[in-house]
Amino acid sequence: MIEFSPEVAETVITTASYIAAGAALIAGVGPGIGMGFAAGKATTAVRRQPQARGSIITTMLLGQVISGSTGIYSLVIAIFLIFGV
Amino acid sequence: MNPGPQIQFYLFGKEYLPITDTLLVGWLSVVIILILAKYLTLSLSIRPEGKQNVAEMIVELIYKQIEPMLPGEGWRFLPFIATIFIYVGFSNLIGLVPGLTSPTGDLNTTLGLALVVFVVVQYEGMREYGVWGYIKGFAEPVIFLLPINVIGELAKPISHSFRLFGNIVGGGIIITLIYQAAPALIPVPLHAWFDFFVGMIQALIFGMVAIAYISVAKS
Repeated sequence: MIEFSPEVAETVITTASYIAAGAALIAGVGPGIGMGFAAGKATTAVRRQPQARGSIITTMLLGQVISGSTGIYSLVIAIFLIFGV
Repeated sequence: MNPGPQIQFYLFGKEYLPITDTLLVGWLSVVIILILAKYLTLSLSIRPEGKQNVAEMIVELIYKQIEPMLPGEGWRFLPFIATIFIYVGFSNLIGLVPGLTSPTGDLNTTLGLALVVFVVVQYEGMREYGVWGYIKGFAEPVIFLLPINVIGELAKPISHSFRLFGNIVGGGIIITLIYQAAPALIPVPLHAWFDFFVGMIQALIFGMVAIAYISVAKS
């Protein structure tokens, strides 16, 4: 068993948490695709029924918010990894 | 390096009562909102003019969000929802003032708001179905879904608060990075986007998700 000095261990931990923070943001791909899909469908719906524009936009925003939470989770985890360690 | 809320002083000198800068800005925005509300409603008349138009516009804008999702109860929920809308929107906007940090960029603020919404949601559910009927609603359609439903209910305030916090803090970090690279002129459109547009949209969404949670608990 090799004993590392505390400085080496701390450097390794910091490096690993920075790399992990970058990797956590890969999760931003999914919400981006999902929210864009919802916006595209809402555009089609508005073209079909322009008088229902208000309620379509409200429903689209609610759906996008729910599907966008995963991206926000990854951002929060990345922030904790960078500033919390 | 600690970019989060900075402790300014301790209340009554107690170690467990720290007063941060976000809390101070939050108190400041509450005072400004109180003064604005008092000023806008100083002289009300049947035929609105001037500043009364502004006040009525804000109230009607919020009322139009509540009424389609909670039919017939728009006026009952208006004070609660409008408080959330106006406080979150004003807190996001106050970050535009140099030297002040948005109170919503602090998880304590957003989690506090989300917990208030959580308590109201539980109360409304119990008011609609009775205490036992509401608790029994978690075990439907089969009893095995009880833990999943309870966890899903407890995850609501967490996702609700983290969404606002993550959006505001993410924008703030990007603006800070840009300020270090290019301090002049380039951050201006970014402020317009992250503080103004995203701030307004997030205030609208925070209130609308609160309305949606209440209407889910009542249906």
